[in-house]
Amino acid sequence: MTQIKKFFPYLIAVLAAFLILGIALWVLKFNPLKAYQTLLFTSFRTPNGFIQTLLKWIPLTLVALAFTVPLSSGKFNIGAEGQMLVGAIGAAAVGILGRDLPPALLLPLVILAGMLAGAFWGLIAAWLLYQFNINEILSTVLLNFISFALIDFVATGPWRDPAAGHPTTVPIGEGGFLPMLVKNPPLHSGLIIAIVVAVAIYFFTSKTSAGYELVVTGANPRASKVHGIDIRKMFLFSMVIGAAAAGLAGAIEVSGVHHRLIEGLHSNFPTLGLIIGLMARGKNQVVPFVAFFIAILEVGGSAMQRTIMVPVQIVLIMEALILIFILLADIIKRRQK
Amino acid sequence: MKKDIILQMHKVNKTFDKVQALSNVDFELKHNEILGLLGGNGAGKTTLMNTLYGLYKMDSGKVVMEDKPITILSPKDAIRQGIGMVHQHFLQINNYTVLENIILGSKVARPLSSNYKDETITIKKLCERFGLEINLSSRVEELPMGTRQKVEILKALYRGAKILILDEPTTNLIPQEVDSLFQTLKIMVTEGLSIVFITHKLREVLSICDRITVLREGKNVVSLTRKDASDEMLVRAMVGEGMDLNKSIMFTDRGTRTGTGTNSDVIKLEGLNKINKDMIQELTDVSLAIKSGEIFGVAGVAGNGQRELAEVVMGIQPVSSGALHFNSEEITSLSTKERIARGFVYIPEDRLADGFLNKASIAHNLILGYHHLPPYSKKGIISWKHVKESSKAMISEYQIKTTGPDEIGGNLSGGNIQRVMIARAFSQPSKLMVAHNPTRGLDIPSMDFVYKKMLEHAATGASTLLLSEDLDELLLISDRIAVMYRGKIVGILPKDKFEKYEIGRLMSGYDLESK
Repeated sequence: MTQIKKFFPYLIAVLAAFLILGIALWVLKFNPLKAYQTLLFTSFRTPNGFIQTLLKWIPLTLVALAFTVPLSSGKFNIGAEGQMLVGAIGAAAVGILGRDLPPALLLPLVILAGMLAGAFWGLIAAWLLYQFNINEILSTVLLNFISFALIDFVATGPWRDPAAGHPTTVPIGEGGFLPMLVKNPPLHSGLIIAIVVAVAIYFFTSKTSAGYELVVTGANPRASKVHGIDIRKMFLFSMVIGAAAAGLAGAIEVSGVHHRLIEGLHSNFPTLGLIIGLMARGKNQVVPFVAFFIAILEVGGSAMQRTIMVPVQIVLIMEALILIFILLADIIKRRQK
Repeated sequence: MKKDIILQMHKVNKTFDKVQALSNVDFELKHNEILGLLGGNGAGKTTLMNTLYGLYKMDSGKVVMEDKPITILSPKDAIRQGIGMVHQHFLQINNYTVLENIILGSKVARPLSSNYKDETITIKKLCERFGLEINLSSRVEELPMGTRQKVEILKALYRGAKILILDEPTTNLIPQEVDSLFQTLKIMVTEGLSIVFITHKLREVLSICDRITVLREGKNVVSLTRKDASDEMLVRAMVGEGMDLNKSIMFTDRGTRTGTGTNSDVIKLEGLNKINKDMIQELTDVSLAIKSGEIFGVAGVAGNGQRELAEVVMGIQPVSSGALHFNSEEITSLSTKERIARGFVYIPEDRLADGFLNKASIAHNLILGYHHLPPYSKKGIISWKHVKESSKAMISEYQIKTTGPDEIGGNLSGGNIQRVMIARAFSQPSKLMVAHNPTRGLDIPSMDFVYKKMLEHAATGASTLLLSEDLDELLLISDRIAVMYRGKIVGILPKDKFEKYEIGRLMSGYDLESK
C-alpha cells in the first residue's frame, strides 16, 4: 500500500505529460488518441516491435546505470557518452586486431576490452577527483569531447572501411560477434549480459556491506567518513563501475549490432540515460523499468512518424515533460510535509 | 495586584508539522522580577519565547502588555514594544568592534559618517547604569564568552528593552562568568527591567529567580514563587510522573563511584600536536592516559580543541606529531575503520553533519560503522533480517519515536536523532567510547538513561573519553576531569579535587594568560 502511495504522484506526473502533449498534438491537427495508441502499443503489436524495444532497452539500461551507480555515492557522472564511445573503440580494436581468434576467446576479449576501455575513461575523471578534488561533472563532460575526436581518428584512420560513405571501420572478426538469441528479427545475447549486470548491481548495492558503504556515502559523506568509511575510495570505485557499464554498452553495440565501429553509434542513448537515471530518482533497481518505458516510447515514436507523420521529436518533448513533472511532483511532496 | 503584571500570554498554541510544541500555554511576567522558565529539552520554553519575540507565528493565543493587547509578527515589532532577546548562539559580527555590533541595525545620529560620538555616550551611560564593564573598541572575536554575552545584553538595552529574554544564558559560561551574569541581572531588575530566564538547570533557577514557571511537553505544569519551591517539587514538575527519581543517577548522586578502574592504561596519548591546513595549531602537546573502567572527562569552553581531540583519537583526522597507543599497540597511523574493529565507538558532537544519515533509513543509521562486522554482516553480505530485528530491539529499548526501521531518518526530531546515535554507540561491545556532548537535546529521563548506560559500560571495564560543555554532567559521572584551553590540556583533576570554580579558572585560560 505504501509503495502504491509512493508511486502515485509519479503516475500523475506521467499522465499530466501525456495530457499536455495531447493538447499540443490536437492543436497541431493530429489525432492524439491515434498517436498515443501508436506510441504505446507498437512495441507489443509485432515480434519485431518487441525486439526493437529490447534492443534499445539494452544500451539504455547500461548507460542509465553508468549515471546512477556513481550517483549512489553522491557523484555525477555526465560522461557516459564518452565512456560508451571509448568502450566501443576498445571493443572494435580488439575485435579487428584479433579477427582470426576463435569465438571462445575473441568474444570475451571484445566484451572485456569494451568494459575496461570505458572504465579507463571513467578512471581519468575519478582519479582527478581522488587526487586533486577536481569536480567530476566538469571532467566527465570535457572527456566526452575528447572521445569524439578519438572516434573520428579511429574511424577515419588505418582501419577505415573505404567502401563506406560514413566514417566506419572494417568489421571485427566473426568470432567477436555476440550470438543471436532470435535469428529473425535479430536479437543478440547482449540482452542477457544487461540483465545480469542490472541484477548484479541491485544485489551489490542493497545486500553487500561494500554496497552499503556506497549508499551511505551518498546519503552523508561526512558521517560516513566519521564512521570509518573511506569515502574517497567510494567515489573512485563508483565512478569506475559506472563507466565500465557505459563501456559495456559500447562493446555490445559493436559486437551485437553493428559488428564494426561506426561514428554516431551512441545515438541519443547517453542523453536518454541521464533522463532515465533522473526519472528513476537515482535508484539503481528502478532503472531497468524506466529504461523499458523509455524504450517503448522511442520505438513507438519512430512508428508514429512513419504512420501518422507526427514528428519523432515529439517523443523527446514527451520525455522531457515527464521528467519535469516528476521533479515537480517531488517538490510538491516535500512542500506538503 | 493586576497592575504589577507587565506581560501576559494567553492560551498560546503552536504546532510544527504534526508535533504540538505548545498547547494552551499561559504565561505571566511581573514588573521588576526575574522569572525562571524551567523545563527539559523539548518542553517548549524556547518556542514560547520565540513566539513572543516574533520569530515564530503562534497558531492561536494572544499577548497582553500592560493591559493592552499587542500583536508581534517579527522581532522588529518585539523590539518596538520593548522586548529584547538574547539567544543561545550570539548573532554578532566577529571582526566588528563592540560598539559597531551594538549599533548595527539601529538608526544612528550621523548616518553618513563613521562618527559615533552620540551613540558612544549613550552606550557608556548604559554600561555605568547597569554595571557592565566592556571596552567598546575591542573586537568581539577577542572577547571571552561571558563578555560577548554582555554585548548582546547591552544591544538589547540600547534598543530600549524593558523586558529581556535570556535563552539558556549560562550554557557556554564558566562558573565565574555565571556569577557575574547573575549580578548584572540583579542590577537590571532594580533598574526597572523584567527578565525571563530560560533554563533547564534547577540550581540556577533557585539561586537567581523570583518566580518559576515550569513547562513540560508544551504544557504549563506549575508556576510558583521561589520561597514556595523546593528542589524535589521542581524536579517532579520537570520530569513528570513516569520517572523513578530514587533510581536515577542525576538526583541521587549515583555517579559517585569508588574503586572502579584498574591500573592498566587502555589508551595513551603522547605529545599529540595537530596543525591544520591553514597552519593553525589546533592541538598542542596533548598527553593523557585513560585506564580501564575509567570515565575521563574533558571540560572546556566550546571550540578549544575538544572536537579535534575526539577526531584524532578516532583517527578521523591525522596528527602532526605524537603517538597514540591502545593496549600497548601503536595505533597512530590506523584508520577509523581499523580502530572501530578494535572496539572504538564515537558519539560525535555535530549529530546532523557527523553522525546521521538524513536520507537513509533508521536501520541504515543504526548499523553505520558496524555494518561490515558480525552479526550484521557475514562475508561481505549484510543480513537485513538480522539488522531489522536488532533495529526493532534498539528502537524500543532507547525509546526512539519512529514508525519502524524502514522510516527515513530525516523524519526524526533532534532528540530522537540523538537517541539513534546513543543506541548505535551502546549496541556494540566496545573498549573505548569517545562521547562528545552525548546528552545534548535529550530530555531529563533520557539524559539519566544515558548516564546509567555510561556507568554500566564503565563497569564492564571499558574506558570512556567524555567531552562535554555541561560541567554538571562532567562533575556527575567523570572519574577525572581534564580542562582544555586553546588546544592544550591545562590541568587534570582527580575526583577528590573536583571543584567548580577551579575548573572554571582553568577553562578561562587564566593560568596561561597570567604567565
